[in-house]
Amino acid sequence: MLNKGMLRGFLIALFFGVVLFALIPIHVPRPSFIPGFAPPPDMWPRTVSILGLALGILAMVLVALSGGRAAPEEAEYSPASPAEWRNRLIRLALALAAFAGFVFLAPRLGFLPSSMLLALAAFILAGASSRWVAVLALAVLLPLGLQLFFGNVTHTPFPQGSWGIFPTFN
Amino acid sequence: MWNDLLFAFESVATLANVLAMGAGILAGVIIGAIPGMTGTMAVTLALPFTFYLSPVTSILLLVALYKGSTYGASISAILIKTPGTASAACTVLDGWPLAQKGKAGKALNMALISSCIGDFLSNISLIFLAAPLALLALRVGPPEYFMLMAFALTMVASISGGSLLLGVVSACFGLLLATVGEDMYGSFRFAMTEDMKGGLSVAPVLIGLFALPELLRLIVFREENHGQAMKLGDNRLTLAEFRGSVKSIIRGSFIGVILGAIPGIGPSAAAFFSYGEARRSSPNSENFGKGELEGIAASESANNGCCGATMIPLLALGVPGDVITGVMLGAFMIQGLTPGPLLFQNNLNEVYMLFIGMMFSSVLLFGAGKLTVRFFSHIASIPQVLLTPVVLMLCVYGIYSISSNMFDVTVLLIMGVVGFIMLLLNIPPAPFLIAFILGPMFEDNLRRALAISRGDPSVFFQSAISWIFAGLIVFFVGLTIRREWQKYRENRAAQNA
Repeated sequence: MLNKGMLRGFLIALFFGVVLFALIPIHVPRPSFIPGFAPPPDMWPRTVSILGLALGILAMVLVALSGGRAAPEEAEYSPASPAEWRNRLIRLALALAAFAGFVFLAPRLGFLPSSMLLALAAFILAGASSRWVAVLALAVLLPLGLQLFFGNVTHTPFPQGSWGIFPTFN
Repeated sequence: MWNDLLFAFESVATLANVLAMGAGILAGVIIGAIPGMTGTMAVTLALPFTFYLSPVTSILLLVALYKGSTYGASISAILIKTPGTASAACTVLDGWPLAQKGKAGKALNMALISSCIGDFLSNISLIFLAAPLALLALRVGPPEYFMLMAFALTMVASISGGSLLLGVVSACFGLLLATVGEDMYGSFRFAMTEDMKGGLSVAPVLIGLFALPELLRLIVFREENHGQAMKLGDNRLTLAEFRGSVKSIIRGSFIGVILGAIPGIGPSAAAFFSYGEARRSSPNSENFGKGELEGIAASESANNGCCGATMIPLLALGVPGDVITGVMLGAFMIQGLTPGPLLFQNNLNEVYMLFIGMMFSSVLLFGAGKLTVRFFSHIASIPQVLLTPVVLMLCVYGIYSISSNMFDVTVLLIMGVVGFIMLLLNIPPAPFLIAFILGPMFEDNLRRALAISRGDPSVFFQSAISWIFAGLIVFFVGLTIRREWQKYRENRAAQNA
């Protein structure tokens, strides 16, 4: 069975393999004006990727040689039950959706209301919903205070939102 | 010289100067403690105020802000696992575990004392070693920089935690991510979007990697981390604890002074260097990364040790070593002072007043630190379920305010997810960060040196400085291999028993 150490080695090797064989050839051009003796732009990323790929493979080999024994820390985050495992994945997916939603909404809805929504989501997902008065107050007042602070002290131009739903505020 | 210094002392000890320094230090500490707000930002924001102040008072205000923010970054590093600047990243490694054990006040006090000592020794060095260190800095060219960076990267072994292999993998991730953007020939690497052409900034990568995984951990593993407040236990630093860290403080201070005097290296590299050295030589090396006061002492003494030393190339050569001293160069020019060798001929009184003022500011840093430690340590008593989302908001606003760009906020959030994956896979984040910071300097100097020598690798062994670093690299790599071999044999013996 694929244990955590083996999976880790595989993911490391996969990441550096993708960078080495797929990303570098496409996204790291070698301009023709660079003289032959000077190291080209892809020299360093290629070297690092080869090293990373080798280390990923080495990590898998070491796990295989040790008979697949897990290190003591491997069990730290193992799920208690399949139901709990599912709940954790749902919470992680919701957190990622909150992050993605903020990135999508901030330029459209405005930075302030998007921040309030992100703060509310973070409080609820972190498990603070039982303190709902504090959560609501913090989710509204904290972004407001921070927007006022940075808007006035550093004169940061926060996005007002292209949808124009909320009034301009700084 | 002594008469000049005495006269400068009298001139500096005015209410206006002391007030400017006190306000600068206090504001710097608070600004440094806010994630995303940096010393550079503090100094830049204060620049317009200097138009109304005398030359020496204005420079002292900026220096005070710089010092205060450098120390302030350790407060958020210890209390909320969010280093205000890259130079406080090492402080997280032991500060956060100490805070979790209910020793936040102790950690903050150690950070304060070591910062003040580092700062004070740095100021002394500025007075007496400015000329020789500036000359040394002039002798450091691309090959020497490369060897120095290669030596710095051997520190990865010291901050890898339990597994050297995973530490090196983490460093590879950092080195690779640092290549995103424009290279020295103007060629774009991994520039998949227009924003990526400018590369990734340190602040969102650093803060995302350290601060946000805690929030995701709290969200995902809610039952295991009940989200309770950390205990506010024993806050006092005992004499025995201080004595145990004195060697690391002194060594860290001098590492800060030497690396601070070389333009372009900066306090983050110094902090990592010092931390690595402290871990190598400490009898408590096994406790590093788990809440060792000596680790905080090493890191903080080195980053504050850089503060005075970064002024050495600025004052002696007119070369700003980093962005902050670049802003200060502007302040000097605004005040009609031109840093460089002529400054010591034409404005010697102002130079001595600056030296004395900087010594004063070390004392004021201690006072402001003591004042704020008591207040800030109460942050640890806020329940984690409320504190971590607040940290997220501070990070989002702080990062956006640096560049007014949603790209940096996106990088922050993505790095938070990357940091969480690394946490799940037990890959340490510290080597990633040191590689991300030093990677561009390492690569640029390697390529520059090879371009200068037309591809001849012997360029790396043509000066005494290069040979010294080459010797140190061989020595420390050998030491690491020996240590890992011993660890492997011990593990094998334990498994067979």
